[in-house]
Amino acid sequence: MQEHEQLSQKQINDDLLRDVLTVPKWWLPAVTVLGIIVITGLGSFSYMVYHGLGVTGLNRPVMWGFFIANFVFWIGISHAGIMISAILRLTQAEWRRPITRAAEVMTVFSLMAALHTPLIHVGRPWRVLYWIFPYDFDRGIWPNIRSPFVWDPAAVGTYLIASSLFVMVCLLPDIAILRDRSKNSLVKKIYAFMCLGFRGTPRQWKLQTVAGILLSALVLPVFVSVHSIVSWDFAVLIGVEGWHSTIFAPYFIIGAIHSGVSAVAMLMALAVWLYKLDKYIKPDHFDAIARLLIVVATTWFFFFFLEWVYALYTLEAPEIALRELQAFQQPYAPLFALFIVLSFLIPVPIWLFKRFRRSALVMFWTTVLVNIGMWLERFLIVIPGLIRRTHMTFDWGTYHPSIIEILIVVETFAFVALGMLIFAKVLPLIPLFDVKEGMVFRHVIKVGRKTIPASIREGLPHHYYEKNH
Amino acid sequence: MATDAAKAEQYEVVEQPYAETDNSVETRKAVSDKLLGIHNITSNRFWQFAVLTGIMFVFGIIGLAMRLNSGFDDKGAWGYYVAVFSFLMTTTAAAPMVAIAPRIANAHWRRPISRAAEIWTLAGCLNLILYIPLIWLLPSLENGRRSLWFFGQQESKGDFWTGFESVPAYSPHIWATLSIVALILLGLTLVWLSCLPDFAVLREQGEGWRKKWGKRLALGWVGSTAQWNWQHHRMGIVSALYFMMLVFSHFFISVEFLMVHVPGWIDSLYPITHAHNALQAGVATVMLTIFCLRQFGGFRDYIGLDQMWALGKLMLALSLLWVWFWFSSFNLYWYGKKPSEISVLELLIKGPYREIFIAEFLLVFIIPWFTMIWNPIRRSIWGPTLIAVSILCGTLLDRIRLYVGAWDVAGRDFASMYQMKLSEVPVKIPTPDVADIFLIVGFIGGSIFLFMMATRLLPAINVWEQKELLLYKAEIQYHRTKVTVLGKSR
Repeated sequence: MQEHEQLSQKQINDDLLRDVLTVPKWWLPAVTVLGIIVITGLGSFSYMVYHGLGVTGLNRPVMWGFFIANFVFWIGISHAGIMISAILRLTQAEWRRPITRAAEVMTVFSLMAALHTPLIHVGRPWRVLYWIFPYDFDRGIWPNIRSPFVWDPAAVGTYLIASSLFVMVCLLPDIAILRDRSKNSLVKKIYAFMCLGFRGTPRQWKLQTVAGILLSALVLPVFVSVHSIVSWDFAVLIGVEGWHSTIFAPYFIIGAIHSGVSAVAMLMALAVWLYKLDKYIKPDHFDAIARLLIVVATTWFFFFFLEWVYALYTLEAPEIALRELQAFQQPYAPLFALFIVLSFLIPVPIWLFKRFRRSALVMFWTTVLVNIGMWLERFLIVIPGLIRRTHMTFDWGTYHPSIIEILIVVETFAFVALGMLIFAKVLPLIPLFDVKEGMVFRHVIKVGRKTIPASIREGLPHHYYEKNH
Repeated sequence: MATDAAKAEQYEVVEQPYAETDNSVETRKAVSDKLLGIHNITSNRFWQFAVLTGIMFVFGIIGLAMRLNSGFDDKGAWGYYVAVFSFLMTTTAAAPMVAIAPRIANAHWRRPISRAAEIWTLAGCLNLILYIPLIWLLPSLENGRRSLWFFGQQESKGDFWTGFESVPAYSPHIWATLSIVALILLGLTLVWLSCLPDFAVLREQGEGWRKKWGKRLALGWVGSTAQWNWQHHRMGIVSALYFMMLVFSHFFISVEFLMVHVPGWIDSLYPITHAHNALQAGVATVMLTIFCLRQFGGFRDYIGLDQMWALGKLMLALSLLWVWFWFSSFNLYWYGKKPSEISVLELLIKGPYREIFIAEFLLVFIIPWFTMIWNPIRRSIWGPTLIAVSILCGTLLDRIRLYVGAWDVAGRDFASMYQMKLSEVPVKIPTPDVADIFLIVGFIGGSIFLFMMATRLLPAINVWEQKELLLYKAEIQYHRTKVTVLGKSR
């Protein structure tokens, strides 16, 4: 990070708490609009519960449609939080500091959006309890633990709890600051309750740091397992063409990282524009995240290539027919072309240029394109394979999403955006303690006539080097 | 970094003191002198071990001659040979990644160990020699061998160039050869680029043949700014290409030398798994190498806990990834219960190779993971080293299990090939004969021998990178203790 402004703690507090202690002008209209969209979506869901799943476009053979594609998409977005926060914390990447909280919070809300999508999809969500909860409810039927549909809620639920815990642990010092700065006594009491008595003693700081590192390490296997299990919802099936591929688990995960980190880049740009946080999120941060995205996008594209090549390698007529349907036949061919172009062919060449990597505007729009492309990717995985399951004449048909499905999918986007905005109003979106810690660790070294940034290296204490091993 | 006057009015400017580095001419010369001094001395113990590994190498060549003498008709007899080739590709070809990845990430801990990782590329030249017989061993596409190249199985679409019969442009023989040759050339280029400044040091401060050797290879290096920028830029490009070519090579090896020989084994994840196993074994190889350099090579002041700790963390992460990749494939095959896939599981995991698989599982995953999650073990010298030995033994068993198993069923039954289903699983593992034992022991010893000889030509620790660290490293007082401050140039 060559660009840096060394700021005082008072400056950091003023800047980062400004939009928590006051209300930006645009905030209320934005929340209102998003709230209306969410209510419309919930209304559509109520309509669907009342009239049945027939109001959607789901029908033989396409029993999974928009909802499942959306579910996979939001699980994918949720991976960004752990990628940015846990992995970059463990690798001591200093540039992560201003963006970890936004990424972690986006994870939590994405997971909530992902969880409520399959609940909506089942049509009668209250009955889900019977086949997930480990109890036989006087029917003598226990949940089928061999089913990926039982693994799914366990994995996603664990991930939600772990991510929430992660967010909470990292929030404690900042909530303590808000407690001390709140003027309203009720608000002060609420913050005091939430910060669990955090006073900034050395022991509390040590425990908070250790908890953060431990959670970072422990949540990584959960991060890998969640999307692996979601991918196995498809991959363990041998009856649907295009699904039974061993590469699905890492392919889904790298795709999740691709879309999730792109979403974080979008959030960074919005934070700079809406919350005027340009002193904290610099072009260097966009540059760093773009370089990460180049690696992730290229890896994702390689996995996509492998998945296609191996599908064709079998020389099985049904598998080849499916790929022809996806890539060359209507209505999927234009979507396929769009997906490739938006996910890789436009953004990655743009990111190869430093000038564009450092621009918040370019990064915002390229990452929007990536996420549109990645949503289409999930659509193209789910629907074409099911379309071809035309064993009987009454199965013949195609899939057209209804307005109900579209409204519910849009509701999930609005839900996440609304959640982020409300969070940013109540708690700071950039971690104060993390940024201040970065300022403390930050030094400069003079090399000839140039000064370069340096950092106190976290790791072994100095006396280890004096010990004769 | 500093704010202008207008901004200064809005908020207080915080002054940052400079951290002082110790990069005087005397200090830098002391580093060169010390490292060159170690490089110039060759101990008797070194020569004793070199003779031992040289003798092993000779046995390997004898084993190769014996195997060539047995002919190319019986594919099963070459199983152990291919396993050794794959094992060496997995270890020596992947070791340079320990230099490449941390260099791209600007991690300073890699400085004392990057040269040792890069030098393994020279030992990797042996892979090209081992690869040559395999070109004749692979059955042609006309014989019904299923290939990843799906443009027609039975006839070639056209000659690559006049005079060569049935060598179509899409032939894996061409692409596999090109990828392995490219990998080795890129590795040699990388090690030469990395050694350029050190060749110049040998030219100036070396004696005897080392001085001449340095003069020839330094090619006029004087350390100007333009030359340093050129070197840095080219190393970046070659490093990226090396990584891509490594993945590409493992893609070919895992497909053309392994999966195509087992009817019904269609695993889209396996090339990635194979490449990942290579990364894990490469890290383990470098771990063992730096342990030897530290304990026996006189580099105790340079290779310390930092390097062990960093590589230990990598080994832990890679062990976890190993089990995840393995389970992703296994779960799908086991759960789907497709007969063709169950046969593959029967051959490679549940059948004759079950004991080898269990041993390998313990060595590559259980032992590394359950030990390396403990920080005191990761932050030690012996802990990661012993785990590296475990991983390397497990990787060798893995390669034997897969390649011997695959080549045992290769071409046995063409009906199975066309139907993509293994009709009969062998009941026992082919016993290695004398030639096979010579091959395994000989070529592993031969790689070590080549590495050791290379360390006499090239300094085993990067002199210029150690001197460069002096520019970026400072110690400051922080409250009641001293801490290290490390700079990042880019």
